[in-house]
Amino acid sequence: MTFPLRDRADADAILTDLYLDALLAAHDRRATDVPTSADLDPAIRFAAGRLSSDLARVHPSFRFEERLAARLAELAAHMRLAAAAGGSDARAPLDPSLDPHLDPAFGPDEDPAADPESLHNVRPLLLGGALTSAALSLAGAAYVAWRRSRPPLTPMARAVRAVAQSRPGGGARQGVRPRSLN
Amino acid sequence: MPRPVFGRVSAQKEARSARVGATVAHLDRDRALVEAARDDPAAFEPLYRRYLAQVYSYAYYELGDHHDAEDATERTFLLALAHLGRFEERARPADGEGASTFRVWLFRIARNVVANHRRARRRHPTAPLDAAAVVPDPLDVEGRAAAREDVAAAWAAVGRLPADRRRAIVLRFVDEMSTAEIAGVLGRSENAVRVLIHRALRSVARDLGRGRAAKDSPAR
Repeated sequence: MTFPLRDRADADAILTDLYLDALLAAHDRRATDVPTSADLDPAIRFAAGRLSSDLARVHPSFRFEERLAARLAELAAHMRLAAAAGGSDARAPLDPSLDPHLDPAFGPDEDPAADPESLHNVRPLLLGGALTSAALSLAGAAYVAWRRSRPPLTPMARAVRAVAQSRPGGGARQGVRPRSLN
Repeated sequence: MPRPVFGRVSAQKEARSARVGATVAHLDRDRALVEAARDDPAAFEPLYRRYLAQVYSYAYYELGDHHDAEDATERTFLLALAHLGRFEERARPADGEGASTFRVWLFRIARNVVANHRRARRRHPTAPLDAAAVVPDPLDVEGRAAAREDVAAAWAAVGRLPADRRRAIVLRFVDEMSTAEIAGVLGRSENAVRVLIHRALRSVARDLGRGRAAKDSPAR
């Protein structure tokens, strides 16, 4: 039976796929006999055999594994806190473009724009809030201090200040403070 | 045709899958772990331990550098944990019993992170997998030298493949994914993945064959 060119390529690819399934399963159970079709190209069998034995899985260092486990635990604690504090979405600060579900059409060659830097936004959500409120407090304190030292100059206030300054030693030192009249 | 399993699921389809929930329940082998991690993010650890080496290997084969691979692995898992609420299990009977749509989802994140890494260092290109040739082997006695040469040749042959073929080969041989899973990770149809792997193996066979021929006749 002859296949049209495209179907032939597809059929070869399926044969290869079946062989790989068998090969990897045999690898798992440390068997040496791999059932194979006579139609399978020996070159494919050779390459698959080489790659299955030579491409080993690489494990990171124990130190890295534990360090990352600690970071994940830290993030988990943060998420739990955020959830307990009433945040319905503890992971909101992360960039949605990194979520594969939001971009199901990942191009085969071109990956979607991803910004893993946004990971650093997890904690800044809290830190940012704290910094903002601290900055507001400082600005508020500065404004109050300014207001206290520079009261609005209403005619009455101006008159009182003029009287106070005309006295020897200045009114402020004697306890006469124009702001008390505001 | 793109594989629908990992695409967006409509409300109607979700309702249908809820009705057949009992059938789907056993399909995703990570379902229990994912649900536990959703309830309590601290329970993410078993998923992390299960897939650490796989994600790290993928990143290492793609980036060819241990430090870059560590960085990419770290970002992948942090993102996965932070986004776990958005993960939707999409296993279907055709995926087989050992399938994990979580693993596919995780590798899509990894693929994204790795691509970002590569973009960032494009100004300083390095040949992927070159590191394999210089990995120190404490048991590097003479008897093993030839085997090491073979390994290096295989790594180099894979490293010379076009990016999409290399990715498919790494996912198939190193991470031992099924064709369906690779299709999910790469966003291609299963048939396209089969053809991709078939052609990649052809290239590798040619490459290794040439190397073997050159070794057999060094004087010529």
